[in-house]
Amino acid sequence: MGLKPVTTPDTEAATIALNIDGETVTAKEGVSLYDVISSMGKIVPAMCYHYTFDPFGSCGMCLVLQEGKKSPVRSCTAKATEGMVIRTDGEDLFAARKKAVEKHLSVHPLDCPVCDADGHCELQDMAFQHQVTNLANAKQKNIPEDTRSLVLDFNMNRCIACGECINICKDVQRIDALQFMKKGGFTQVVAKGDHALDCEFCGDCLAVCPVGAITNKFSKYVYKPWQLRKTTTTCNYCGDGCQLYVETKDTEVVRVTSPLSWKNKWGDRGDTINGHGGLCVRGRFGFQFIDSKERLKEPFIRKETGLAPTPWIEALDTTADRLKDIKSRYGSDAIAGLITARCTNEELYVFQRFMRAVLGTNNLDSSARYGHMNFVRAVHHALGINRTMNSSADVTKAKAILVVGANVTETNPVASLRVKAAIGTYNASVIVVDSMQTNLAKLASHPLMVKPGTEGAFVKGLVKSVVEQDLIDPDPAAQAPEALAALKAAAQAVSIEAVAAETGIPVETIQTVARIFAEASCAVILCGEGIVRQPGGYNHTLSLVDLAWVTGKLTKPGCGINTFTEEGNEQGAVDMGVAPEFLPGPVPYAQDEARQTFSEAWDTTLPDAQSGKSLVEIFEDCRAGKIKALYLVGENPLATLPKSFGVEEALSQLELLICQDPFLTETAHYAHVVFPACTFAEKDGTVTNQEGMVQFVRPALDPLGESALDWHIMVGLANGMGHSLPYETTQDIQADIRKVLPGYYNLGQPRPVAADPTAYLRNGYAESVGARYANGRGQESGRPYGLKLIQLIYHSGKLSTKASGLMDISPNTGTLRMSLEECERLGLAEGGRVRVTSDHGSLELSVQADVSVLPGTCAFPEHFNEPPVKDLVRVVVDPMTRVPYFKSTRVTIEKI
Amino acid sequence: MDTQKQTKRLLDAVLFREIWKAMKVTFKHMLHRPMTFQYPREKRTIPDAHRGALGLLRYDNGQERCVGCDLCEAACPSRCIKVISEEDKSLPLQRYATEFYIDITKCVFCGYCVEACPVNALAMTKMYEYSTHDKRTLLFDKQRLYEIGEQHLEDAKKYLYAHNQEHNDEESRAYRYHFPQPIGKTEGSDS
Repeated sequence: MGLKPVTTPDTEAATIALNIDGETVTAKEGVSLYDVISSMGKIVPAMCYHYTFDPFGSCGMCLVLQEGKKSPVRSCTAKATEGMVIRTDGEDLFAARKKAVEKHLSVHPLDCPVCDADGHCELQDMAFQHQVTNLANAKQKNIPEDTRSLVLDFNMNRCIACGECINICKDVQRIDALQFMKKGGFTQVVAKGDHALDCEFCGDCLAVCPVGAITNKFSKYVYKPWQLRKTTTTCNYCGDGCQLYVETKDTEVVRVTSPLSWKNKWGDRGDTINGHGGLCVRGRFGFQFIDSKERLKEPFIRKETGLAPTPWIEALDTTADRLKDIKSRYGSDAIAGLITARCTNEELYVFQRFMRAVLGTNNLDSSARYGHMNFVRAVHHALGINRTMNSSADVTKAKAILVVGANVTETNPVASLRVKAAIGTYNASVIVVDSMQTNLAKLASHPLMVKPGTEGAFVKGLVKSVVEQDLIDPDPAAQAPEALAALKAAAQAVSIEAVAAETGIPVETIQTVARIFAEASCAVILCGEGIVRQPGGYNHTLSLVDLAWVTGKLTKPGCGINTFTEEGNEQGAVDMGVAPEFLPGPVPYAQDEARQTFSEAWDTTLPDAQSGKSLVEIFEDCRAGKIKALYLVGENPLATLPKSFGVEEALSQLELLICQDPFLTETAHYAHVVFPACTFAEKDGTVTNQEGMVQFVRPALDPLGESALDWHIMVGLANGMGHSLPYETTQDIQADIRKVLPGYYNLGQPRPVAADPTAYLRNGYAESVGARYANGRGQESGRPYGLKLIQLIYHSGKLSTKASGLMDISPNTGTLRMSLEECERLGLAEGGRVRVTSDHGSLELSVQADVSVLPGTCAFPEHFNEPPVKDLVRVVVDPMTRVPYFKSTRVTIEKI
Repeated sequence: MDTQKQTKRLLDAVLFREIWKAMKVTFKHMLHRPMTFQYPREKRTIPDAHRGALGLLRYDNGQERCVGCDLCEAACPSRCIKVISEEDKSLPLQRYATEFYIDITKCVFCGYCVEACPVNALAMTKMYEYSTHDKRTLLFDKQRLYEIGEQHLEDAKKYLYAHNQEHNDEESRAYRYHFPQPIGKTEGSDS
């Protein structure tokens, strides 16, 4: 329609002046008249308008009178032009709008009492506002409801053909799963091709539907909007930190809604660079675990007969006594703790204080160790920062985006919309390097599908290509010439031809994308699990730093290196110092002044600088019998790590295993004590998203049964051990965090970070860079296929498997995903059986064809352990960051 | 004290005049029809518009009228109604109340719920005899409410008529709406 507000950063639109209701207003040229009117604060009703996409102009409500025209015009599709004289109010306009409402109502069923949108319906509001009481020629469409989809029911009798669902799917989600179709004499919204809806199920169409035409299957007919209590909280499934409304009725969660809704339709389209307020399938439909029947409701202690329910006082007392006993018999270092990064910042802070100050051990780690720590350690070492560098606005406005090993649309769906907007609205060149045919690759200008596990080699090839083509920015040359010389020398070791052969990408393509990246005025790097969770993750992140540095994309505003986190608060876990090498801040644990500060703040002596075991070492020590007690908060290592890692042996050696989790996990079967914890919907506190924004988590429900907040349990244990922690409310903990980390909360805004590579480049860079590039390719395995444990959009870790809605959408099929070509080559039909053999075992599996898997690769979702595909993988530990890698291996596949 | 008054007092005392005066009322009432009802042997005729216990109604084919729309719950000023609704899996699009409670101890008999009901599933009856030793039985559940509706169907109809919820006696059992609207029927024949 050509009405896109001119928001492209390079072109500044001309300013025009027009007269609206006697007031002269200025606006940008090319903006829709409706936007100009609503920017004045005047509300003109419109049912098909939403600021996140181009005006559609189907409802006929936004009528205004333009001087010189006889009949009213639709303001949403009219462009604002210089000198327009507009009237937005008046009897005649009211009558015209009333006619439009009557037109919609005449084919709308009056089944409001049974409609889920009753009370939250724009057509209802408009009928009321325009006093429609009588309909002359009402008729019914009598279209049967379309209940084919797993998630959404389409009742096209109620549809007013506003097209909001289709537009948001096309313009914002860029999935285009819905379309209009003329059926039975009426225009209906159907899934593409009139099949059952099969999309990412983000539910944004549901959120923007102004009537009850699209309804949620999981909460259909069980509520009326006015009965629900709305709690604004932060989603816990991934690091995007989407705001969501948990809507509860008494003690059950009825539905989850998003700030994106037909109700907030006014805004500037340019503002969507900070997010559009929508959710993904996990946030919107994965809420059932909160009030699941499987939740633990009371503490358990292992007796002769097994785990027996025990009152809290007794459970806490016994546990504290046993911890005290172990501490006195074997010393503090015989105790270790692991916590999930789904906990709030406050809980993570209390956890590390409890471990360090009360138990006196530095053996503590969080699930950020599974990958995010690689990125943090690398940027901490190189740039002196601890998180991603760019905001979502930077990503949207970048001219070139290098996405390496990040299947963003699956792992962080809402963050991926920023890349999609960069492609669609801002015409960025997007280079996707991945060993899967990701959804982003389908949209990207340069999709580069590399062989599995060669993403790191490709980055080295890019650095080499930049050096070879002399695309080096003048700044880094001036900044640290010795470092640059060292990098150039190191790059000599890399041959582009070898990289091309290893990755399967032609040399010319590598040269082209290197040029595109280097020559873009503003470029960002996004790296994900395909880099940071694969062997060599730390070094590969440093190679990305090299690439950004030599092309001058490191310190320039709007440029930088970013990552995505898998669990809700991995960044918070790092910031709160839940790692043996970090204190809250994070500041290095080895730093004497920092330890001094914290030991004064906590009025205790901290374990000495060299102590502290990370996740991998904790399990090694458990196996060796050096660690006698393990405190697991929300962690389930038995289900996460492969069998060959020996978690089972480690756990059975323990004298005391404390599991604190909302559910009875596999690990809890080995536990001596099980504490029932709460889910995020019962917690009060904050979480830090991957951008560094500290966001509130608010309790939507009281703790279920006798379950308790994680930090309550820790404080209880501390009291039991005779070392009370001075916390009574979350605010006490927050006050403490404010004291030791001034400005951490920063009113919810990300604290600005300034990357400074100078120190890194001057001290020891020249010596170490050679070794990093000298690393040739890994030894060839005789096994032809790469097996990847992938993340699905419908799941997050193991938590989502407790959400019945997500399990309905994406059940565990137990099948290996292979490309169509491979299936054909092996002569496999859908569901055919194969034997998968790795160095660590062998499994029989069914096969499922998956278009996103490349030939030579097979994939299995990491969320499911049945069949135990994860056990085929061996754990490789990063020598630097001690991150365990267990997401990929080489396998052979035989048909049986 | 004058003599006249003294004489009067003496005569009153001798002739037991006060007794006679009192007996006069008694004798008068011996010839009068009784004013009181001998409840519970006799019962008062109750007007059609009387607001008694609430009952739930069914369609003639036995189908529950209530669609679980929660409007009665929203209209109730004393918040004594609780509706829990669900989709009827066997009948697509059909919403119904799985549970329906009226705490009659809290009810103020305003009749707003009946007015709010879009399908005339609720009506007030002339039933008022539900005193009990166990207060818990005064939380009427769905089954009890349907029983009341069945037992007092005629009264319920009359109530709806008296309160102008229907146009005439003929239609007093007809509904305002029928959900879901049957496929193939037009709006005209529905209302």
